[in-house]
Amino acid sequence: MTAAESPALPAAAQSVEAVRAGLEAERYICSKQIATAVYLAMQLGKPVLIEGPPGVGKTELAKTSARMFDLPLIRLQCYEGLDEAKALYEWKYGKQLLYIQVLKEQLADVLDGAKGLTASIARLHEFGDVFFSEEFLEPRPLLQALRAVDGSVLLIDEIDKADQEFESLLLEMLSDFQVSIPEIGTVKAKGRQPLVFLTSNNTREISDALKRRCLHLYIPFPDPALERDIIHARVPEIPETLRRQLVAFVQELRDRDLKKIPAISETIDWARTLLLLNADALDTELVRDTLNVILKFQDDIDSVGPELHGIIDRAQRSR
Amino acid sequence: MERSLANFIRALRMADVRVSTAETLDAFRTAEVVGWRDRTLLKDALALVLPKTHDEKEAYDACFEQFFRVEDFRTHADAAADPDGAAQDDGSATNDADGDAQGDASDAGGGGESAGQGGERRGPPAGGSPGAPGSGQDGDERSELEALVHPGELADAGSALGRMLMEGDRSALAMEIARAAREAGVEEIRVFTQKGLYTRRIMDGMGLGDLQEEISRLHRSAELPDRRLALELERRRDGLREQIRDYVERQFLLHADATGARLREELLRTVKLSNVEQRNMRHLRSIVQKMAKRLVAAHARRRRITRRGQLHVPRTIRQNLRHDGNLIDLSWKSKKIERPKVFAICDVSGSVSYYARFMLMFLYSLEEVLPKVRAFAFSSDLAEVTDLFQREDIDEAIAHTLHDYAGGSTDYGQAFSDFLRLAGDDLDHRSTVIILGDARNNYGEARTELLRRIYDRSRRVLWLNPEPELAWGGGDSEMNRYRAHVHQVAVCNSLQHLERVVSDLLRSAN
Repeated sequence: MTAAESPALPAAAQSVEAVRAGLEAERYICSKQIATAVYLAMQLGKPVLIEGPPGVGKTELAKTSARMFDLPLIRLQCYEGLDEAKALYEWKYGKQLLYIQVLKEQLADVLDGAKGLTASIARLHEFGDVFFSEEFLEPRPLLQALRAVDGSVLLIDEIDKADQEFESLLLEMLSDFQVSIPEIGTVKAKGRQPLVFLTSNNTREISDALKRRCLHLYIPFPDPALERDIIHARVPEIPETLRRQLVAFVQELRDRDLKKIPAISETIDWARTLLLLNADALDTELVRDTLNVILKFQDDIDSVGPELHGIIDRAQRSR
Repeated sequence: MERSLANFIRALRMADVRVSTAETLDAFRTAEVVGWRDRTLLKDALALVLPKTHDEKEAYDACFEQFFRVEDFRTHADAAADPDGAAQDDGSATNDADGDAQGDASDAGGGGESAGQGGERRGPPAGGSPGAPGSGQDGDERSELEALVHPGELADAGSALGRMLMEGDRSALAMEIARAAREAGVEEIRVFTQKGLYTRRIMDGMGLGDLQEEISRLHRSAELPDRRLALELERRRDGLREQIRDYVERQFLLHADATGARLREELLRTVKLSNVEQRNMRHLRSIVQKMAKRLVAAHARRRRITRRGQLHVPRTIRQNLRHDGNLIDLSWKSKKIERPKVFAICDVSGSVSYYARFMLMFLYSLEEVLPKVRAFAFSSDLAEVTDLFQREDIDEAIAHTLHDYAGGSTDYGQAFSDFLRLAGDDLDHRSTVIILGDARNNYGEARTELLRRIYDRSRRVLWLNPEPELAWGGGDSEMNRYRAHVHQVAVCNSLQHLERVVSDLLRSAN
């Protein structure tokens, strides 16, 4: 399967380095593991299950991959109670009903001359399942992704928020890239298979069956060097020294026992904030005023407060 | 390389990483795609396919480092990379460590085995001319002792094992080890202390007795070649012992580790919680989580079935009157899910604190199906500890609870009155109250009327007593008086009991 498809793969998926460079060009700086995951996903045609703490760029990876491969991004946000009608397909019930109403008058013409119930029904049967055809099918994200002829990137976001049955629903889709619709039959991926990303915040254990079908990528918080590169790519205007300091500061915060540990997205926001305030180095005053950008709980801010000076000091000395 | 990947996966499974057959196939495909040359790439790539949780990733990292050594990739990336794996399956060369020495020996020994492998003790000069006249000369010049360890003419070994050792045919030797191991029943090995025993048995099975006899006989011999042979045999015997020990070690890892873990788990489930040794605590923890997970899975499903809607015909018709009776908006029947409220009252005084610990751990592991657990701890006074559990890690919360509330002599009467004061108004027909305690009231006032009030207000009151039923009512135990005022009393002193109780609780709550 892979051998047949590989020539059709875009240039950006030909090697791990190419993937990494491609992501970098889209300003997504990543570790080699992440690039390997995308590369393998393209090569093997397997979905990627991404886990990791919130705000490390799980969703962003899917979005960036879509841009990099120039594919449409189809996103399915999961929540409790999500079912196949919202994820897969739905019959356009209203439209069906409306058509029935409109066609009521036509019925007389159709049945004209038919004698008795059996004959009438036989006559109706000639029209086949008009009301259960593609015309009345409302494709939802999963079906849309399968039907995208040039391939697509399907992002199933926060799968852990959905119920367990929903996972089972995904199994057919993820292993064979097909779904079964009772009235129509099996819909297979047209053209290129979608590149599927699933993200999970680990609020619930994902079932083994689903995990088995996916590549499993865990994105941890980045190390300082990588985080500096990320900030550099995202907020290029920020001065070198400040960048170094703020990354060191955030890195130290992550080692603390906080309710909500600041993630990369918070570091980026903070960098933007500091840039806006024209800062070029961290000082206690500045940090105290802007701490609410990286810490989202008052408890956390209070607990860090007294040690602020020490942390800033260490951050300034970090090289 | 393929075989080494298969062996690697076997090693992973030993390290508690669950790898299914499908994943094995994926791993092979992955290896094909990324190739074998780049070690880090291979590691990253396989890390995506094989381990699927955070813990497994860590185990995987350790395993990978052990299994695929850096040197293997540097020297011959395409050759079989794992010494262990290769040795395990076929009897060919064993480990690299003595492989070099072996290489020397077999090179030199082309003509006559006699050259042997003097290399290790005396340095390599021996590698040279086999059984050459030169060595005889040496023997004359140097002391007799040196001549002994120096290669020279050797007598022929008499015993079967000795001959085999002297022939140095490693594959024959490995086959012999495997045979003896089968006879010794090495796959029965269960605990690591048995390693020495099995090593010994295998050696005996290979004819160690004869060899020993021969060695001591040779030592006594007046002939130089004989004594030389004795030393050489001893050396090779020690090498063989090492080899067998390695073999047993591998067999142990293959057979025993998994079954050992299962055995331990089985045991820990049924053993009385207060008898569990400290070092097994963390295993208990994971068992509790496993049990909780299973209960969650079973009961979450049940709950969802009640949610499956049927068409609510009357309401649908009513709603669609405005559409001239055309049923456009459908409305579905659904059953309201009643989430049980659980109040756990735990005696945390010395004797019972052990059990309290596990019950709390259990209840809080069930958050998904039991979202509203309120916990109370008491020995003399009672206090609510729910907050602690919400704020902190379970282990810490338990430690805190025990620290803050344990001690003091148990007073059930006081505890009930405190409980009614704190939570009495919240008790309703959905509440289940679980009391964990031995009902030993230090001859204090039992105050059964308070328990009665709790009973009247709530849907179910369970009393879990860690003591065996025979002890109820003896001494200062008030169990027999209390049991009249609760719906159910159960002995609960092992994880299995606990699981049964909680499972019952969930069933009745839904």
